[in-house]
Amino acid sequence: MKRRSLILISLVLALITSACGDGGGAGTTGTVTTSVETTETTGAATTGAETTMTGTPSEDTPIKIGIIADLTGPFTTYGNSLARSAQLAIKEVNEAGGIDGRQVEVIVEDIQTDVAATVDKARKLVQSDNVDLVMGPIGSDANDAAYAEVVEAGGKLLFYTETYEGGKCNELYFSFGAVPAQQVRPLIPILQEAYGTNAMLFGADYVWPRRSFEIAKPIIDENEGTVVSELYLPLIAEDFSELVQEVRDTQPDYIFSLYPAVWGAALTALNDAGLLDSVGIGTIFLGDPDFAGIADLAEGSYTALPFFTVADAPGVQPFLEAYAAEFGEGEIPSGGEGVGAYNAVWLYKQAVEQAGSTDPAAVAEAMVGQTYEGPTGTVEMMPSHHLKQTINLVQAQDGQYVLVDSFENMDPEEDCSL
Amino acid sequence: MPDERAVTPRSFWSSGGKAFRNAELILLALLVALPVASRDAFFVDRIGRFLLLAVFALTVDLIWGYGAMFTFGQAAFFGGAGYAVGILSTREAGILPLPLGLTILGAVAASALLALGISYFTFARRGGLRGVEFAVVTLAVSVALERLANAGGPVTGGQNGILMTYRLGPVHRGHGFYLLAATILVITYLGLKRYLLSRPGLVFRGIGQNEERVELLGYDVPRIKRWTFVLSGAIAGLAGSLFYLHEGIVSPAAVGVGSSTLVLLWVVLGGKGTLIGPIVGAVALPYLTARLSGTLLDTWLVVVGVILVVVILLIPAGIFGFLNRERAS
Repeated sequence: MKRRSLILISLVLALITSACGDGGGAGTTGTVTTSVETTETTGAATTGAETTMTGTPSEDTPIKIGIIADLTGPFTTYGNSLARSAQLAIKEVNEAGGIDGRQVEVIVEDIQTDVAATVDKARKLVQSDNVDLVMGPIGSDANDAAYAEVVEAGGKLLFYTETYEGGKCNELYFSFGAVPAQQVRPLIPILQEAYGTNAMLFGADYVWPRRSFEIAKPIIDENEGTVVSELYLPLIAEDFSELVQEVRDTQPDYIFSLYPAVWGAALTALNDAGLLDSVGIGTIFLGDPDFAGIADLAEGSYTALPFFTVADAPGVQPFLEAYAAEFGEGEIPSGGEGVGAYNAVWLYKQAVEQAGSTDPAAVAEAMVGQTYEGPTGTVEMMPSHHLKQTINLVQAQDGQYVLVDSFENMDPEEDCSL
Repeated sequence: MPDERAVTPRSFWSSGGKAFRNAELILLALLVALPVASRDAFFVDRIGRFLLLAVFALTVDLIWGYGAMFTFGQAAFFGGAGYAVGILSTREAGILPLPLGLTILGAVAASALLALGISYFTFARRGGLRGVEFAVVTLAVSVALERLANAGGPVTGGQNGILMTYRLGPVHRGHGFYLLAATILVITYLGLKRYLLSRPGLVFRGIGQNEERVELLGYDVPRIKRWTFVLSGAIAGLAGSLFYLHEGIVSPAAVGVGSSTLVLLWVVLGGKGTLIGPIVGAVALPYLTARLSGTLLDTWLVVVGVILVVVILLIPAGIFGFLNRERAS
């Protein structure tokens, strides 16, 4: 009996220790370090090494970029797109000689689509790994948490690459995804031309849809359109009868939707009610991977985002090919955060080289005005710390996205002044 | 034949014999040694968070492990306290900010009141809700609170939650925070052990084993269940308020079914009804998750899942439940 318990416990311990075993120590050699490595310290024995690494950086210490990405949970698609695109860019930067001659080491942490995990991982990257830059996350709640930890408490740079509501303003915070004005401005005239001027604003009940609609309203006004209805449902609603009723009551020409999490369920409800034929649809979130899952329901709808596989810029195909070569045939980055992360790494390289240091404040100053010829065209970091970039507009036709138009140099119109 | 050792005080202290006493000593030694051995502030800080999760797990072990009240809603008190702290301390939430101490007190009171409210509806009179019925009510509370947090507009911050404005002063981070968490854990552990040996605690454990019999002996079962439930809510509230102040943010998942289920997993893994087991489970599993999700990016969920399945298949009573039975046989 006693022996059995010993065997059991040692089995469990063996499992746990083997699972914990990581490639520790490999991260300090200055070779190509695009593979995922951790340098987490677990006791006094290794803390000594950690402190010496926080000293003055020299030619042979790598620059460390930490990525907090949702690799599991509901945001897996976007988290993968973010982490992989950043890793792809870092690999290319390293192959081209690194940043100012220094190699770049990347540490990826899975934040599990969870705010508590975001806080924990952001702290690890800032305090324990002492990274030079943190990239990510996806959700705007996680972004709030990461912002507090990385920028406010940690004094480090945070590069956010997801499409979001805008409005964050800090010396050390930069946004590379699309913000509402960039997407709404090209989308509204096209929806009006296709369907008519009466708009319904339909969103999930949180800050991104709400702020986006506040920005959309004056733009609809400028186009002499009318908002006939504005409806918010919970992020993951189970019942869409309110939506169906509202569409029947107010008879909009088109629905401008910011309802990302279970958009397919909302479309199904509209379809079951026989309304999809009589009302047009426009979104600013449905990237290629999400569209593939609900292509039949989304037929005819318009979407505005920085990136689609059908985007017509010379950099798009090389980017897609490099991505597939690195992560497998058929793997594609989704609508915004991927290309955002890719651009962000290259802009960071340029800014560090211009500033001649990785000091957060110096890099932040050099970031502004930095331009880069990215996969979808030229991007420029504005004084508001948001990115001027190309927005692509597609329509779903016969189950495929077809490029309608490309809008270069779209201004983020964020009024953050630093 | 009923197991007499389970209800007589002396045997409870020594239940499992040396195994438990040794485990307690080892754990205490580890608790003390860790901040001395490691100067890595982040690591110590992270373990400190897990110690508050261990306090949370203890409150579940109290009512489920000893009182047989299976709950899917304990995060209502732990996460609920996080929301209470956030609402009481931020201007955005529309309520005048209270001083830090009052904020924490208010959060503990809110959790205790919530527990009292739930117990009023569940064990109001004899033959109150038990087993699955009670579990379903707690599940409903979890679901309702998560939705409320999502739909609370500026008061709860909706999906984005509430950012904390208060810091815990010198014990907000690193070693100081760890000491705070460790102290609360040790006090809670000893306090709960003492309570379970006291007369009402004894009756409560009796209820867990055979509610009808205790009732027939003339004890006021609803009353003892109610106040023990309130006690567990209040302690979870204290741990939760400190946890979320340290976290800096509280969002709807904190009060949801997911959080309430996770704590059950820690308790099962460590061994329910042992107090010490849930502490080990609540530190080991989150630590494993935190480590592996940074190293085995694609496979960590599978690895953690396999470890859980293996442990639970081989030792369904959990690590300490297994050790306990082993020594007793």
